[in-house]
Amino acid sequence: MARLLAGLAALLTALCFASDVWAHATLVSAEPADGSVLAQPPKMVQLHFNESVTPAVIGLIDASGKAREVATRAVGQSVLMVLPDDLPQGTQIVSYRVVSQDGHPVAGSLVFSIGAVTGAATPSRDGLVSSLIWLARIGVYLGLFVGVGGAFFAAWIEQGPSGGKAILGALYVGLISAIASLGLQGIDLLNLPVSNLLTIAPWKAALSTSLGPSVLIAIAAMVIARLGWQGPSIRSAWIRSAIAMVGVGLSLAASGHAATASPQWLTRPLLFLHGLSVTFWVGALAPLAAMALQRDSALLWALRTFSSLAVWVVGVVVLAGVVLAVIQLESFRALIETKYGIILSIKLVLVAGLLALAALNRYRLTPAVMRNYENTRPLLQSILAECVLVVAIFAVVAGWRFTPPPRALAAAAKAPLAVHIHTDTAMFQVLISPGRVGVDNFVLQLMNGDASPLNAKEATLTLSLPERGIEPIERNATLGPDGYWHVTNVPLPLRGRWHMRIEALVTDFRKVTLEDDFELR
Amino acid sequence: MSKAAFVAALAVLVATAASAHVTLENKQSSVSSYYKAVFAVPHGCAGSATVKLRVQIPEGVIGVKPMPKPGWTVETVKGKYATEYQHHGSKVSEGVKEVVWSGGKLADDNYDEFIVATFLTGGLKPNTTLYFPVVQECEQGVSRWIDIPKEGQGAHGHDGTSPAPGVKLIPKP
Repeated sequence: MARLLAGLAALLTALCFASDVWAHATLVSAEPADGSVLAQPPKMVQLHFNESVTPAVIGLIDASGKAREVATRAVGQSVLMVLPDDLPQGTQIVSYRVVSQDGHPVAGSLVFSIGAVTGAATPSRDGLVSSLIWLARIGVYLGLFVGVGGAFFAAWIEQGPSGGKAILGALYVGLISAIASLGLQGIDLLNLPVSNLLTIAPWKAALSTSLGPSVLIAIAAMVIARLGWQGPSIRSAWIRSAIAMVGVGLSLAASGHAATASPQWLTRPLLFLHGLSVTFWVGALAPLAAMALQRDSALLWALRTFSSLAVWVVGVVVLAGVVLAVIQLESFRALIETKYGIILSIKLVLVAGLLALAALNRYRLTPAVMRNYENTRPLLQSILAECVLVVAIFAVVAGWRFTPPPRALAAAAKAPLAVHIHTDTAMFQVLISPGRVGVDNFVLQLMNGDASPLNAKEATLTLSLPERGIEPIERNATLGPDGYWHVTNVPLPLRGRWHMRIEALVTDFRKVTLEDDFELR
Repeated sequence: MSKAAFVAALAVLVATAASAHVTLENKQSSVSSYYKAVFAVPHGCAGSATVKLRVQIPEGVIGVKPMPKPGWTVETVKGKYATEYQHHGSKVSEGVKEVVWSGGKLADDNYDEFIVATFLTGGLKPNTTLYFPVVQECEQGVSRWIDIPKEGQGAHGHDGTSPAPGVKLIPKP
């Protein structure tokens, strides 16, 4: 049995760390731009993200309110949608939902008008689904921290079944919530009504994201903890609860914003340690409260063991948490200026309260109980207050699911300047990085009018700044192994509206020339 | 790159753009008639001697016969036309698509002409310009005279710095 569980744990580890370098995707620019009014209906809509994404659902609601079919294609970091050619005049809405590499769906809408603005409401995210996702997340935290953590405490520290009802209850809630969160993630991903939980599509979609392995590991951890509870011997309870604890750490490290921040060699182990320590700490609360209530004789021994370990565990929780927060936030101002930071600020306040209570328990109430065995009431009240704070922290942390961290937002701001030039014959996507005055690098993605790759023999980039009398600077592009044409180290010494001409030689006698302007700052 | 080098690079580019092009000597011809296309080559590629000249024959131009040129080997590339043409009472569906002169050497400071006799079929649209894209290969480098202005911009549209030689088509008198 132990060998089987160890094998399972190894498999879960492999699952968890097999992923590539991930980051949270953010829309960098769109073509046509959001809110733009165009004279002619565009042939296509392009969404440019800060990383490559997988389109989940892309929809178009035309000015007459009809949902229209659009063909979509992901090209590198862009998603291209070919629009129907009979769009009515007025405001059209493109809603997109893509899966970012960290497994979170990124959704948004883009509004553009043909001819004139006719006004239309932007479709919003389903409030019911969001609340259910949030509740399911809290349920999973309860199962992992209270359930698995409690089972660990019962096996290793207390060696008794106190608080069993709470622990088993948390495990069941956690299991149900974990399964529900998987289905809800799929529903959110595909933008389906909740009733579609009974179909297979949302589950398949959710399993293909990084939440899939994370939830599966969590479920395995909770099942193992439940089995350990009924274990035939204290030895098997030890082994199973320890494996379940490792599972909690792995599950937390497998998905979410913090798990996908770089450097991953640092964030994932930190998240693992953070989760493990939190589980140890939170898991102790229910059994301790139950023992304090019953004035159990084992309380003294359990308190003494827990208190001596808790100082170190809390240290790990705080240290790992602080490092992760620094990586995610990138600046102190983000604490109050971004949604993600505000959630973190609230969490920090709650954690400070929790630490204060923990200190009170450790240095005042525990010695008091040691002196007078009958006086467990103050300790019980303090532990219950800790429980309330812990649940509040779960509720707050579950809200992170809906906010990108400042790290991802900053990456969007630093993204290269993207220029898209489109005619009947060809479509060129130009990325200028860093897109500022100085020395810039150009990447040219050449496509035919239908978005298929354009095979050029040569490509030339010509730049000029007519308003300042800068005549054309001509550079030959070189074809990179990525299939894109590159022009490196181009000096762009002045800010202003630069003119760019790209010539792609298709045959000896034919070339495609596209021109456009871009604003350099 | 220093500012001085930057300015120097710009100056060189401006100088190249300002020099003369490969052109057709007869600027105008009516449709449904013979046309003697004389390609005037005023210089090499940025100072390098011309060693090869390739002319693409546009659709609608048939009966192509290049004039042999002492010191040069002339070759033609044949292929299918997009449609069938009537020529001297018979149907023509394939013919010369490209004429290539090679093996010679035309120094940058010399001038020369390369000649092709053609027939402009009646299907060509009068009051437009018919372009003959030319690729000039030199000892060092290539100049491609292949820029064709977009419709509506006219023959002097300023798109491209290497315009293809063109002839203005006029209605048959």
